Amino acid sequence: MYDWPHWIIVAVFSPLLGAVLTPVVSLRDRRVAPWWALGAMTVSSFAASMLVIRVAKEGPFSYLPGGWERPYGIELRFDEFSASVAIICLIGWLALLYSWRYTECMHDMPKARIPYYYTLVLLNLGGMMGLVVTGDLFNVFVFLEILSLSGYALVAISGEHIAEMAAFKYLLMGAISSLLVLFAIAILFSITGSLNMADVTVILSKTTYTTPAALALAMLAIGFMVKAALFPVHIWLPDAHSIAPSPVSAILSGLVVKVGIIGMVRVYSIYNGANLLDLHVFNQVLVWLGALSIVMGAFFAIFQDDIKLMLAYSTISNIGYIVMGLGLSTNFSVIGGTVHVFNHALIKATLFFAAGALIYRTGFRTLTDLRGVGRVMPLTCIAISIGAISIVGIPPTAGFLCKWYIALGAFEAGQPFFGFALIFGALFIFIYYIRMVNAFYFQEPTRPEILELSEAPASMLFPTLLLAALCLVMGILGRIPLTFIEPAAARLLTPLGG
Amino acid sequence: MEVYDIRPMLAPAISFACSGMVFLFGSNKYWRRFWMLSASVLKLIVVLSMLPGSLRGVVYVFHLIDFTPGIGLGFRADALGMFFAAVSSTLWVITTVYAIGYMRGEEHLVRFFGFFALCVSTTVGIAFAADLLTFFLFYEMLTICTYPLVIHDETPEALKAGRKYLIYTLIGGAFILVGSVIVFNATGTLDLGSPGILSADIGTQTLALIFGLLITGFSVKCAIMPLHGWLPTAMVAPTPVSALLHAVAVVKAGAFGLLRTVYNVFGVELLSELGYTKPLMWFAGFTIIAASLIAIFQDNLKRRLAFSTISQLSYIAIGAAMLTPFSATAAIVHIANQAFAKITMFFVAGSIQRTTGKTNVHELAGIGYRMPWTMGAFTVAALSFIGVPLFAGFITKWYISLGALESGDYWVLAVMIASSMLNAAYFLPIVYLAFFKVPPGTKMRVTEASPTLLVPTLICAAYVIVLGTTAEVPGMPFSLAQAAVHFVFGM
Repeated sequence: MYDWPHWIIVAVFSPLLGAVLTPVVSLRDRRVAPWWALGAMTVSSFAASMLVIRVAKEGPFSYLPGGWERPYGIELRFDEFSASVAIICLIGWLALLYSWRYTECMHDMPKARIPYYYTLVLLNLGGMMGLVVTGDLFNVFVFLEILSLSGYALVAISGEHIAEMAAFKYLLMGAISSLLVLFAIAILFSITGSLNMADVTVILSKTTYTTPAALALAMLAIGFMVKAALFPVHIWLPDAHSIAPSPVSAILSGLVVKVGIIGMVRVYSIYNGANLLDLHVFNQVLVWLGALSIVMGAFFAIFQDDIKLMLAYSTISNIGYIVMGLGLSTNFSVIGGTVHVFNHALIKATLFFAAGALIYRTGFRTLTDLRGVGRVMPLTCIAISIGAISIVGIPPTAGFLCKWYIALGAFEAGQPFFGFALIFGALFIFIYYIRMVNAFYFQEPTRPEILELSEAPASMLFPTLLLAALCLVMGILGRIPLTFIEPAAARLLTPLGG
Repeated sequence: MEVYDIRPMLAPAISFACSGMVFLFGSNKYWRRFWMLSASVLKLIVVLSMLPGSLRGVVYVFHLIDFTPGIGLGFRADALGMFFAAVSSTLWVITTVYAIGYMRGEEHLVRFFGFFALCVSTTVGIAFAADLLTFFLFYEMLTICTYPLVIHDETPEALKAGRKYLIYTLIGGAFILVGSVIVFNATGTLDLGSPGILSADIGTQTLALIFGLLITGFSVKCAIMPLHGWLPTAMVAPTPVSALLHAVAVVKAGAFGLLRTVYNVFGVELLSELGYTKPLMWFAGFTIIAASLIAIFQDNLKRRLAFSTISQLSYIAIGAAMLTPFSATAAIVHIANQAFAKITMFFVAGSIQRTTGKTNVHELAGIGYRMPWTMGAFTVAALSFIGVPLFAGFITKWYISLGALESGDYWVLAVMIASSMLNAAYFLPIVYLAFFKVPPGTKMRVTEASPTLLVPTLICAAYVIVLGTTAEVPGMPFSLAQAAVHFVFGM
């Protein structure tokens, strides 16, 4: 059953189609919207799981819509990196479930907007699914725009003035980065005459146009770096991620920035495969930017009192890990980096869900106001503690694997400095998470009214706890994603015919 | 001989499960006590059940799961690990009883005892870790689990101490992690089951880096100067926690890590070629003297004990660093000797505080008449630290001195003698005050501590004498230590 060729289309288009139809089906009763969206996502998740089973059993495969052979038609290519559809579906589905109750507490948002909220979330998820499975450069741009535009709108959706400002900032940065990506794709097209990634790789390896190709590489890299929020082009992220509704923050921070990473991986595989340019300089830039992101993200996070802002800065640090892993470009480090794409998504979604539940119940969002909340919302706070321990990378949680593998990669690559930077950078991160745990459990409440609240509703608690459990399980069962991603990492690092 | 057996994994797993029960059902006083005692007693039974086998030279191994290809969770109960496990599990039962008595009427008891029981689990995990990664995993878990205990009082002072504790130990942990990564990168294994996994062909630069990183990392918990700062500050914790930090779990985890690094990661042969242990000896020797000197000037009893701990721990480090069989024996048995003596002292300090409210040395005049049994136990522990024969501490000093003669480090003898005198200088005044200096007008009425406090204290004190007098009896920890020494020196 898993080898039915059309699952890939089902997986990508059911959220997109569902998105378009959400306002229609909820015309009469807007309470239908969440269930409709969940339904669309369930279909997509099922298809995605079939795809993942297939890639695990058969290795990468292609789908040619309409039967047009490449390079004439569009090619959808499903490889091990595309298996991130699984995590997109998981977190997307849980975020939709979580939104059901969460949207009620967004007082500034008119209730009539709720169906459109679900439309935007589904569009965003569908855009991501499309981007990770496509094998066509122009498709990359199309899906990138779908997910970016819906992302801008989602940040702004609460209708608060500050949300609009954050969304505008995000839009400005995002639009520039999209344009850079588009220009770069145009350059590549003019060099190679093709938009198919595999084809472009082959033709690039035979051309001598090194300068335009290098220009395109730089533009693509910067474009995707903005999407991934790497230091120093991260400035849109803290506001956007902290002001968006919590389920959206989970999606943006856990998934959308990762799409920037997947984009980088695709670019990397084209250029490394073509072997046209010497990528050493590029790699060094990535490693240094990664290291800077780790340190700067952690550094800014220390001074935040707002929990969501803190989590947002910590995303920058974690993107730093992943980019450093790619830049070190050894087998171990690439495996570590790509596995962290999955694991960080789990961890950060746990944290944002838990933080959202606290905000939903208490109405406060600063550590000072939230003191003592661990006494009345023990389960949510356990989830947040597990997330904190994972993100710092204490074994045996999910965050440890990436730290171990990237550090190993740094020593393998003969750049021990980055191994040190990575592991000691993680300590910085611990400082601010320990502040959070202290505030929730060990400090006297500054707002006594907190002590009369109760635990978050089940529909919010379930996604939070499930993801927290996964943070632990994926650490212990880490070899499953690792062995899965290993061939892909090896392929990424070998040039064509090399 | 290696035997595949689930027990090395079962020992931490049982107490882990029981601590979960403490969290779940701990709000009822009786269930809480039941699960806490289960955690420590069941674990002790499992550990002791392996003792006969260990004494025969059987090594129990168990491989639970690979996180990733090459690194995973493996357990291994060899002689050295069994020694540490047996000591810590025995002490844990006693400490649990004491803690139940001591913490009566305090707040947040579920949290306290839940994490207390978790520490039981992680300490045995450290003892039975089969590779550096498993070791590191439990080592970091121990840090995390002790944090809520250190800041139990939730006062700003306690929070500050907790922060200091975390910063020190986590930085130490990061050193260990980097060291482990380099070891794995150089050798492709992290296994602790052989007398040394590194070899000279890795290159002296890398070897020096690894040694520096691992030893620095472990020295934080082992409180070797200048990395000892967290330990005196962490004294704000409730007394059972101090006992736990100082005698059983945390500092011993550091000391045990040092032993593992010297004997199982590098191996005696390689290290004696490289000569890296000399600086460690100097640091340890300095710590022994300097910490004792500081201890003399402490008026707060627990602080005085804390600096005494710092001094005593370096015995283990210096014994390990001398790389001779005699000194290695001393280093290993000192894990037990120091643990029982120091925990006696902490129990005494806690009992005095609970019974009379006194925490400073100068207030203790005449206390020996109020609490004769308690202060008697203190005297036994003090004599042990001074190194009087028939008490446990003598054995350590004797073997370290023998080791110093063997390796030609004669200055260590001087350190031993000076340390004995300094120990006398800061412990005997307490004994003197307690028994011989009665302030005028004191009523000679005996008001001993409650039995749950007194009985554990007396058991520990009795054990100090047992360890000192019957060391050669087969089945005592000493024979395990000798088995471990024979293994690491290939004798």
